[in-house]
Amino acid sequence: MTNHWVDVKNADVILVMGSNPAENHPISMKWVMRARERGAKLIVVDPRFTRTAAKADLYAPMRSGTDIAFLGGMIKYILDNNLYFKQYVVDYTNSSFLVNPEFKGPGQLNGLFSGYDPKTRKYDKKTWSFQMEENGIPKKDPSLRNPSCVFQLLKKHYSRYTLDKVSSITGTPKEKLEEVYKLYASTGKPDKAGTELYAMGWTQHTIGTQNIRAMCIVQLLLGNIGIAGGGINALRGESNVQGSTDHGLLFNILPGYNPVPSASIVDLKTYIDKFTPKTKDPKSVNWWGNRPKYITSYLKAIYGKAATKDNDFGYAWLPKLDEGMNGSWLVLFDQMFKGKFEGFFAWGQNPACSGANANKTRKALAKLKWMVNINLFDNETASFWKGPDMKPAEIQTEVFFLPAASSVEKEGSITNSSRLAQWRYKAIEPVGQSMPDSEIMNELYFRVKKLYQKQGGKFPAPVVNLTWDYGEKGPDGKIKHVDISLVAREINGYYLEDIIDKKATPPKQLGKKGVLCTNFVTLQADGTTSCGNWIFSGSYTQKDGKVINMMARRGKDDPTGLGFFSGWAWAWPVNRRIIYNRASVDPQGRPWDPKRAVIKWNAAKEDPNTKKPGVWEGDVPDGPAPPLAMEGGKYPFIMMATGMGAIFGPGLADGPFPEHYEALECPLEENLMSKQRINPTIKLFYDKASGVPEDIYFSCDVRFPYVATTYRVSEHWQTGVLTRHQPWQLEMQPQMFVEMSEELAKEKGIRDGDKVTVSSGRGKLWAVAIVTDRFKPFKVAGSTVHQVGMPWCFGWQYPEDGSGGESANLLTPTIGDANTMIPESKAFMVNVEKA
Amino acid sequence: MSNNAMVRKASSFEIVNHWALAVSFFVLAVSGYAFLFHLEGVGSVFGGFNQMRAVHNWAGVVFAVSLFLTIFHYLPVSLHFTSDDAAWFGKAGGYFSKRAAVPPQDELNAGQKLYYLVVLAAGVVISASGIVIWLRPWAKSGILLSHLLHNISFDLMVIAIPAHIYLATLANPGTFRIMVYGTVPLSWAKKRHAKWVQRMGF
Amino acid sequence: MTTTNRKALLISPELCIGCRGCQTACKAWNQLPGTKTVNRGTVENPPDLTPQLYNRIRYVEMPSETSVRWLFVNQRCMHCGDAGCMKICPAPGALYRTKEGAVAFDKDKCIGCKLCVEGCPFDVPRYDEKGKIAKCHLCFDRIAYGLLPACAKTCPTGAIRYGERDALVEMAKKAGYQKVYGEMDLEGLGAIYAFRDAPKIYGYAEKPGIPESVVFWHKVLKPLSYIGLGGVVAASLIHYVAFGPKKDEEVKKDE
Ligand code: SF4
Ligand code: SF4
Repeated sequence: MTNHWVDVKNADVILVMGSNPAENHPISMKWVMRARERGAKLIVVDPRFTRTAAKADLYAPMRSGTDIAFLGGMIKYILDNNLYFKQYVVDYTNSSFLVNPEFKGPGQLNGLFSGYDPKTRKYDKKTWSFQMEENGIPKKDPSLRNPSCVFQLLKKHYSRYTLDKVSSITGTPKEKLEEVYKLYASTGKPDKAGTELYAMGWTQHTIGTQNIRAMCIVQLLLGNIGIAGGGINALRGESNVQGSTDHGLLFNILPGYNPVPSASIVDLKTYIDKFTPKTKDPKSVNWWGNRPKYITSYLKAIYGKAATKDNDFGYAWLPKLDEGMNGSWLVLFDQMFKGKFEGFFAWGQNPACSGANANKTRKALAKLKWMVNINLFDNETASFWKGPDMKPAEIQTEVFFLPAASSVEKEGSITNSSRLAQWRYKAIEPVGQSMPDSEIMNELYFRVKKLYQKQGGKFPAPVVNLTWDYGEKGPDGKIKHVDISLVAREINGYYLEDIIDKKATPPKQLGKKGVLCTNFVTLQADGTTSCGNWIFSGSYTQKDGKVINMMARRGKDDPTGLGFFSGWAWAWPVNRRIIYNRASVDPQGRPWDPKRAVIKWNAAKEDPNTKKPGVWEGDVPDGPAPPLAMEGGKYPFIMMATGMGAIFGPGLADGPFPEHYEALECPLEENLMSKQRINPTIKLFYDKASGVPEDIYFSCDVRFPYVATTYRVSEHWQTGVLTRHQPWQLEMQPQMFVEMSEELAKEKGIRDGDKVTVSSGRGKLWAVAIVTDRFKPFKVAGSTVHQVGMPWCFGWQYPEDGSGGESANLLTPTIGDANTMIPESKAFMVNVEKA
Repeated sequence: MSNNAMVRKASSFEIVNHWALAVSFFVLAVSGYAFLFHLEGVGSVFGGFNQMRAVHNWAGVVFAVSLFLTIFHYLPVSLHFTSDDAAWFGKAGGYFSKRAAVPPQDELNAGQKLYYLVVLAAGVVISASGIVIWLRPWAKSGILLSHLLHNISFDLMVIAIPAHIYLATLANPGTFRIMVYGTVPLSWAKKRHAKWVQRMGF
Repeated sequence: MTTTNRKALLISPELCIGCRGCQTACKAWNQLPGTKTVNRGTVENPPDLTPQLYNRIRYVEMPSETSVRWLFVNQRCMHCGDAGCMKICPAPGALYRTKEGAVAFDKDKCIGCKLCVEGCPFDVPRYDEKGKIAKCHLCFDRIAYGLLPACAKTCPTGAIRYGERDALVEMAKKAGYQKVYGEMDLEGLGAIYAFRDAPKIYGYAEKPGIPESVVFWHKVLKPLSYIGLGGVVAASLIHYVAFGPKKDEEVKKDE
């Protein structure tokens, strides 16, 4: 989230698209309803009339997988009707930048951008660049009239997204489209705020990243980023999924969003050169220019004393990806399926139900020598070998099950979608033999390290040099119990030496040796500071010799009434509640909307640090620099090298502007927008020549004529491992179901409550039919397209009598987003028959 | 036979059965009132309303069975109306005048017949509805109706039975001994059931 | 009902998102077991109140001109001011009024006659395996200690609010609800509803009332049972005094 949960109450228009907060984030609806009580309007765009839609002022149905067409139409509407926030767009976005004249868009190139290579299925992004002035700053045309400027290119690109075209792609009636566009575009005024809430409904597509990009463009055009009640807000599906991505859960990022190096990046210097963006624009903060400090401090945190200047701070010990290697979910299980893995830790997860194409995943598990499943309850993964269609006698996988403690049985922090790290305490002792994950890791680490120390092995250094100062050591050298607060302190970071700012006159001491870092501003690139995750620096600090766990704070003051609650726990970065908040004020530092001032520049007050006049008031600003128009002023988008909001986004794999492509499996022979049916840059797992039958897909095929999507339900948590064992939850939602329209049911002779079989190219399952007016057939390209939807919270293993059914992921395809490889489980094709 | 001689009005079985009826009715009525009006004092005598409910139910069984057994004895007589009954009614049984001469009556006078029929009818209804309330053979439907019928018959009984008690005690001295000995003085019988005395040849 | 400072629940289906936190929270507080159910072709489950389910959400799907309306309505005991269940209950203390105005129950005192559901205009009371009453009791064991009822505590959107009844009525009116369901009915309900439309759309009777037969019973039959008895006793006394007993001696004289 750029903003935070409570902030939703400040919005004037809330667009829920790609998410279903009433069912999947019920608590968030508190703030949505608060906003509505104030008179805000709620728009829901969803293929199905959800519980969120039931609360909406305006609901628009839309065929799964056509969000870019829908939003492209919105961008066109905003531009055509001059509803954008002109000053914001000119001053705070790259709309005025001139783009390489060689750049061509899908309108000219049959659905492709310039630079496409069909052999590698990749773009050469040479032409996706800005024209530069001699001083190295992009050329601009603040009048936005130059045909090469981003604004004009945007206009040209989306001129193809006419109402008729969009309506016949999405299946949304034209009047509905216009109603949504009109209402949402009303937030383009300086004193109006529109927010967007999305979740897996946007990410789980082959065009997932671009779905979000399209909305970012809308929000930048309307001046909705950085302001209270605005932003683009990812509703995280797990309470701590934000925390886990922050701390390097994904294969391609180290903690703090530092990239994982590939093998060709041989030393720290190359790494820093490659990943530290540069700018010559003095007004750009270019925050990632600090990369050297963050990566070095990170290496110091994990390798401690063993990391020295001479050994590149242990950079060589960091795990590296092979060139071009992708370690995402689909690829991992594909490799496992192909027998490339010996062992697998399924830690706190249930891939036999949770991942796309779960049948393939289950078969892949059978190729392992061993698997360790760490979970609260037995589940479809741990017991995969005795699951449906499995022959236990032939499966050689040795399975270990380690019972883990639940969240109430351990202490630690969790970080929610608001980037808010909250400290939680242990309520009860772990049940039976279960242990907190940290204790399991402690055991594992100690044993593995001992083996390396004894036997040497191929590459012991990364393990034996790891710091592990998380508590008191026993006689065997093992940490007796992990003190989780020591982990939190390591993440926050320490001053390893006295840190002196020599540039200041007189030189000023920034940090004292051995003390916890104040925040990431004082981190150093020379190994004199350690920090496990720079964005969390400041979460566990020291003031006047006293250690303060900022995450454990429980202050309830809200002086602005905007719901920052700055004294409650701690949000990264530096307790900032709304990021890019410098975009909420004009270049003079006056809030666009004085009634909802996130920050404002008070020129009359003296800054206590610099003793110069002028301070920011309100939320923690994005840097202390004065407003843009003043001397030393800075651009608002500090994480971008140019300092500007990216309407033109050359960083992504599939194009600088989002373009509509159909899902891998879709009901249409052709993309109505261009000759290019699917995203040209996705990695295809299956084609006729190669690939395994498990990855097969059927697009526009009479055998699988209905669009399908998957979703969660309020009553179950993810694959249901926790909630299916909870009789109260199971009572409310006991069985697998498939929702469908009255019209489709009639066609198929299915009645409400009937048992039906749903099948795709990859599997089939039974489900109870919920025949409802909440699903309506779509009019797409002149014909009727039916859509159905299913949850993925059930599995064969529990309830034990099999009455629950199976996960919808038995049906989903092996295909991922071009940028993130998140599987496309929100749009695929199935058949439904009466069982 | 001397007027002071005793004639048998009730068999010992009838006596026992009547006591059963009387006692069970008393228990039922008292607990019934306690249910209707939340008489906690009464409830505590039974050891709480739950026990009282059990006692009430079983007392009801006793009452119903006893009532059933009276049928053999009283029902045929009670259904046999004669001109004497009209005459008896004409004089209102002689209860509202010290002088009125009541025509001679057989074993039961019209009032007694009517009383029996009323009590029997109310008894059948109250027992049947009681069983429904207790055992709920048809789940929900009919429960409220049963309660209403139960209460209507109860209302009838608590009017009829005390009147009966009054008439059989204070109003007609000597009558109560039937419930003890089964016999009455011939004079008593002659005054009230002259035809019966005649028919029996006492 | 004569409780001052009466407390109540204000239920606003417009705010309800159908998350059923209330349904679960109630089970958690009251330690009610989950029961085995099946999907009947709807999200709604269990299909009715049960002795293990004191409150539940009804999902009402209604086609409308534009698309569809989907209402989420919390169903539970209404804690009526004039409570048919209490009126009809034969066991003192089995159903009782708490000082907050809730209609609570005491299983020990319940005699299991299953009569209360007959007196209830809302078909609320259910009976456990021992035949004892089970229904929402407004968390009498929480509110007495100043805690919120479990459902109101859990509800994320304020669709179930607990507080001073008068203040809640006023709050609903301020929020634009002309008529608050249960404001006046049955001497005021203890669970009042902010309905946007006619109550019957939400599954409630326009004018809820205790069944006529129950009123008849309460107003006529019950009093008759003591008036009748009293009348007979009085009449007997008068008769005795006025006419005296029939004595056998008179017979002799007559002869
Ligand atoms: S709703 Fe029914 S059970 Fe609840 S107080 Fe009213 S009459 Fe009694
Ligand atoms: S907890 Fe509140 S929002 Fe959720 S279902 Fe219950 S009443 Fe509705």
